[in-house]
Amino acid sequence: MSFAKEFSKGLWKEIPPFRLVLGLCPTLAVTTAAQNGLGMGLATTFVLVGSNIIVSLLRNIIPSKVRIASYIVIIATFVVIVELVMQAYFYPLYKVLGIFIPLIVVNCIVLGRAEAFASKNGVALSLADGLGIGLGFTMALTFLGGVREIFGKGTLFGHALMGASFEPLSFLVKAPGAFLCLGVILALMNVISDR
Amino acid sequence: MRDMIKMVVVLTAITAVSSLALSYINDATRAAREYQLLKYVKEPSIKAVFAKLDYNNDPIKDRITLKLGKEGKTIFPAKKDGHIIAVAYDAAAAGYHGEIEVMVGIKPDGTLAGIGIMRHSETPGLGARVAEPSFTEQFRNAKPPVKLSSEGGTINGISGATISSKGVITAVNEALKLFPEVKKEVFKP
Repeated sequence: MSFAKEFSKGLWKEIPPFRLVLGLCPTLAVTTAAQNGLGMGLATTFVLVGSNIIVSLLRNIIPSKVRIASYIVIIATFVVIVELVMQAYFYPLYKVLGIFIPLIVVNCIVLGRAEAFASKNGVALSLADGLGIGLGFTMALTFLGGVREIFGKGTLFGHALMGASFEPLSFLVKAPGAFLCLGVILALMNVISDR
Repeated sequence: MRDMIKMVVVLTAITAVSSLALSYINDATRAAREYQLLKYVKEPSIKAVFAKLDYNNDPIKDRITLKLGKEGKTIFPAKKDGHIIAVAYDAAAAGYHGEIEVMVGIKPDGTLAGIGIMRHSETPGLGARVAEPSFTEQFRNAKPPVKLSSEGGTINGISGATISSKGVITAVNEALKLFPEVKKEVFKP
């Protein structure tokens, strides 16, 4: 169990929305554009890293009967920090992500890492785990948002990419497009890893 | 029993530390959050209100809070080289559906600098047209009291939406009513 191994598993082998198929609520809802996916991913990464470190530090102190309650308090604290900071300095992003920021509290990826990893491992490994899973989640959301933005709007990070003759498939930016894109990506990942 | 006490102590300690951290961050970001909220909610209408004026400050950064009666009122001043050339503040009145919130800009002599509709829920295509420039531009440089042309004033109401048009006018007159007090505080020698 090395630092590098714990870090890199989140980037492909256990990349949350595509391999573990966890955290689908924000994955489907906010990935209407690459930038939104990136913002949501980074917010979640901050919460994951913070809560993993604290849970790991307190793992021998927290009695097992109240561990879930304690984890939720710790996670919620980091989520509120993200929310306040985002409101203060990234207001447009805060408006777009809206309810999905507070909902990071109940994101099963965050609680899952606290329960399955940080409560059993040391601080350094938990940090690597949180960072890896968080960045994997960010990559996945940015990628999915990018795909939907390119084909749904013809832009990437707001920059026009396609020529004027391009007719955007605007339904990809709406909810059904999210399911469709996610399905196609899951299928492609299965094909690649079966080889 | 010992387990019980440990559970209570640990959970209480965690929540206490958490609330301490959050209240600190809440205080630290309060000013920035207020600024952002005003910038994104009010700045568009403040810009519309001051559109024809030559000013060179950030009205949101220079905002003044006055105590008028019981409530505080936030005044956004437009300044040219440090001198206030107009002020803007919001007022609201009932429209056809709920309140219409209007940002009203007033010059030192009491004439209107302009108005901007901040929020309304009037009927789309009918009452909602009060937010269009063809209606709001009529208030630019208008002299108080503002009235609809059907009542002997200078403002042409939107046909079919008299209640919405009157709502805006009521809000503007509400703002004008406060102006003597605002003037006393803001344009102090």
